Amino acid sequence: MTASAAKVARQHRTRHWLRRGLFVAYGFLGYAFFYLPIVILVIFSFNDSRSVSKWSGFTLRWYEAMLQDHQIMVALWNSVFVAVVSTLIATVLGTLAALALERYRRFPARLFADITLYLPIIIPDIAMAIMLLAFFKLSGIGFQTWKVSIAGLRLAVPYSVIIGHVAFNISFVAVVVRARLAQMDRTLDEAAQDLYATPWRTFWRVTLPLMMPGVLGGALLAFTLSLDDFVITFFTSGAGFNTLPVRVFGMIRKGVTPKINAVSSLMLGFSLLLVTLALLAARGNEDRKIQMF
Amino acid sequence: MNDALRRYPALRAWLLLAPSFLWLLLFFIIPLGIIVVYSFLQRDVYGGVVWKWSLDNYRRVFDPLYFKTFLYSLWIAFLTAFFSLLFGYPLAYFIATRPEKTRNALVLALMIPFWTNFLVRTYAWLTLLRTNTGLINVWLMQWGLLDKPLPLFGNTFAITLGLVYGWMPDMILPIYAALEQIDHRLLEAAEDLYASGWQVFRRVIWPLSLPGVVAGTMLVFIPSLGAFVTPAILGGGKRLMIGNVITNQFLGAHDWPFGSALSVLMMAVMLLATLVYFRTGGDRAGQGGL
Amino acid sequence: MSDASVPAVELRDVVKRFDDVVAVDHVSLQIAPGEFFALLGPSGSGKTTTLRMIGGFELPTEGEVLIEGEPQGYKPPYQRPVNTVFQNYALFPHMTVAQNIAFGLEMRGVPKDEIRRRVGEMLNLVRLSGYEKRRPHQLSGGEQQRVALARALINQPKVLLLDEPLGALDLKLRKAMQLELKAIQEQVGITFVYVTHDQEEAITMADRIAVMNHGRVLQVGPPPEVYEQPRTLFVADFIGETNFIPVEVLRVGSTVEVLTAGGARLQAGWAEPSLNAGAPAVAAVRPERMWLHRPNTAPEGGPWNRVEGIVRHVIYHGLDIRYEIHLAGECSLHVRLPVGRGDADVFQRGEHVIVVWPSEATRVFRRDS
Repeated sequence: MTASAAKVARQHRTRHWLRRGLFVAYGFLGYAFFYLPIVILVIFSFNDSRSVSKWSGFTLRWYEAMLQDHQIMVALWNSVFVAVVSTLIATVLGTLAALALERYRRFPARLFADITLYLPIIIPDIAMAIMLLAFFKLSGIGFQTWKVSIAGLRLAVPYSVIIGHVAFNISFVAVVVRARLAQMDRTLDEAAQDLYATPWRTFWRVTLPLMMPGVLGGALLAFTLSLDDFVITFFTSGAGFNTLPVRVFGMIRKGVTPKINAVSSLMLGFSLLLVTLALLAARGNEDRKIQMF
Repeated sequence: MNDALRRYPALRAWLLLAPSFLWLLLFFIIPLGIIVVYSFLQRDVYGGVVWKWSLDNYRRVFDPLYFKTFLYSLWIAFLTAFFSLLFGYPLAYFIATRPEKTRNALVLALMIPFWTNFLVRTYAWLTLLRTNTGLINVWLMQWGLLDKPLPLFGNTFAITLGLVYGWMPDMILPIYAALEQIDHRLLEAAEDLYASGWQVFRRVIWPLSLPGVVAGTMLVFIPSLGAFVTPAILGGGKRLMIGNVITNQFLGAHDWPFGSALSVLMMAVMLLATLVYFRTGGDRAGQGGL
Repeated sequence: MSDASVPAVELRDVVKRFDDVVAVDHVSLQIAPGEFFALLGPSGSGKTTTLRMIGGFELPTEGEVLIEGEPQGYKPPYQRPVNTVFQNYALFPHMTVAQNIAFGLEMRGVPKDEIRRRVGEMLNLVRLSGYEKRRPHQLSGGEQQRVALARALINQPKVLLLDEPLGALDLKLRKAMQLELKAIQEQVGITFVYVTHDQEEAITMADRIAVMNHGRVLQVGPPPEVYEQPRTLFVADFIGETNFIPVEVLRVGSTVEVLTAGGARLQAGWAEPSLNAGAPAVAAVRPERMWLHRPNTAPEGGPWNRVEGIVRHVIYHGLDIRYEIHLAGECSLHVRLPVGRGDADVFQRGEHVIVVWPSEATRVFRRDS
């Protein structure tokens, strides 16, 4: 090999490593972009001054203030209540719809039902929100509340909010459960029926256990979306009803304080918990998949 | 009854479908119908509606005052999709080229901010971008890099940044899903046939990842067009998008017919985009984004 | 015991349409008690649909399915006295081997003790004792197959339906399982209806075969009959290897005579009834019925057909040698001769030979059938 050939080879190698290095650096920057704002947000929730940009020592007082804030606590339990109830309803309805659409290839108006189920996913929440607002006002259903006490707090949750959350969650549950059903071997149901199981028993003994990871995944997604929702709640709640996001929005309007950072960190904690649960559900999904073959 | 169910599977299908379908009929299809009907009516002086059919509302949409906002929203949605693609594609490619274990961890790491409340994420940027008290300007001035704060807030930049931050995972995941499915042997075959690195990308990788790109673009474009929270918080009340105008018509101005017309038009644009998306087969790759 | 005069399964003029597609076209069959009955045909021939109608997974559009003389009407699968071994076994992945096998009895409310005893017996029968606690994904293909069989047989069905049960196994295992299935069937004495596209499998195992194509049953009979006396060109072609020689019919009646494109006159043992003199036809002969001679040693006269040809390929196959013989008129024949009768009997490529076979082994079919 001549000296110049060796030099060219060395240049090539250098360029290769430089390119790889730049690429990895880009990856790190990308993730920094996603995480830094959140991390800074959490850090300043512990800031011992009213500022969210100038560090002046560690404190937990914003968390204390949050816990003592009656409105925030009501909003928190409102959020949880709406999410639990709407998730339960949406999971049952969405799962049944998924079964119909995935197990029956053709029936009258199938396409219409299919599109109806897809639309709430595509349509932006602002459009859905004003639609529901107009509907509740016009139909006279209005914003009547469901009164419950949880954790010593008296909640008044408008039915309209729950109805709205169910309406957008059905579709998401149906999509997730359908994906699971599509993976499942349909002859398993036939095998159960062949072995003298009635359709009802087939469902409980074979279909449901096998599609459970999908149902759980769908329920978790619905729960997350419900906790996450601001726009639809904001429009369908009438006056004076707060979920956590609605409360945070109201607080931001009045000014930025580390208390909002504290509430945000709390919500972040919820999300982390849900991601973990979703991950566990997905694990279950994969185990089952291996067992299928 | 049992015989009937057995003879007509359609009956069983509809029994399963009935509860959710009725729910959506009542609380989605009918409300949608109301909005469409409203968009052809007129408001009365008390904030109600007059049952008189007219196209006035749609004419008003093209009033420069509102049409400018409409175009501005399209512009923001376009910018958001564009920058999400520009920065998201390399990131998707970066994830797809890692070893399998790292890959799964990286996808999960992407999901965590994605599952975080949208409002929280928007608020995080608010604390960073605000003109005088935002962290970025405060730090840059402390370090003596700036004399006066940069205009980071209450403008197109802030809104676009907030939307890119919020929706970029929707761009990355379908592209990643498409890239991950590419058979490595194809790349080797291309190299074997004398394609250079750039040519392999342009002739093999890019075309094969296109369904993911289309899906991701739709998934980013549609919610960006209908954005309400981001312009409300990061626009500082100065820059409005169509979502804010609609909100004002419903909650402030009490002109529901006009607000309805704006919504119908917005949904029409989205429907168009969705049709394009299904035509190009993006829906198959798009499932990775949900 | 069931009455031998009542068929275990009877199909009366059954039709199944899926929208515009006719999957099963006026099929009538009678399957005797204790019989091993094979439904043989290529994919899309309607054999699986026929089986699914017996099982109750599909309902006939027209006609009737009877099991032991009883019309099944709209009865769902779980009310029919039949069980199925599915193509991919359809073992429940979330249950153990024992739970899978016990499922049918459990659904019918059989007491726990009895279930345990019978599951043990079944595991014995299929040689899987000790596998109770395993999950389906921990079993090999052959083991899964045997669990599927045990899960069906434990219910003591009147009829066992098997849908390509060996299709997913490799060749060697398939051969072994064929013998095992046959032995189990003889042991338990249950009627088997067996769907397969593998003609060799059907011939080896079945008491009777129904050959299906395009939704119709073309021929029903015991394997030797279907093999040696095919009644349509499709059956002759689908089952075993066959030489086809394009011919023109010269004479039909008590003796059949045809003329090949190369000008040779052939006698045939049978011709399709609808054939008339002058019609274009196909003469079919099994390769193993043919014999090769050198021109000087060929027999004269007698009930033999003779055609001249040239050896084009010689392929050594271990047990036999296969020759491809080129005939005049763009037609070639495959001939199989056993190995080991001395070198003089091995023919060389390019050699001029006479192909000889018994006239009765020749069957003449319509060209379009």
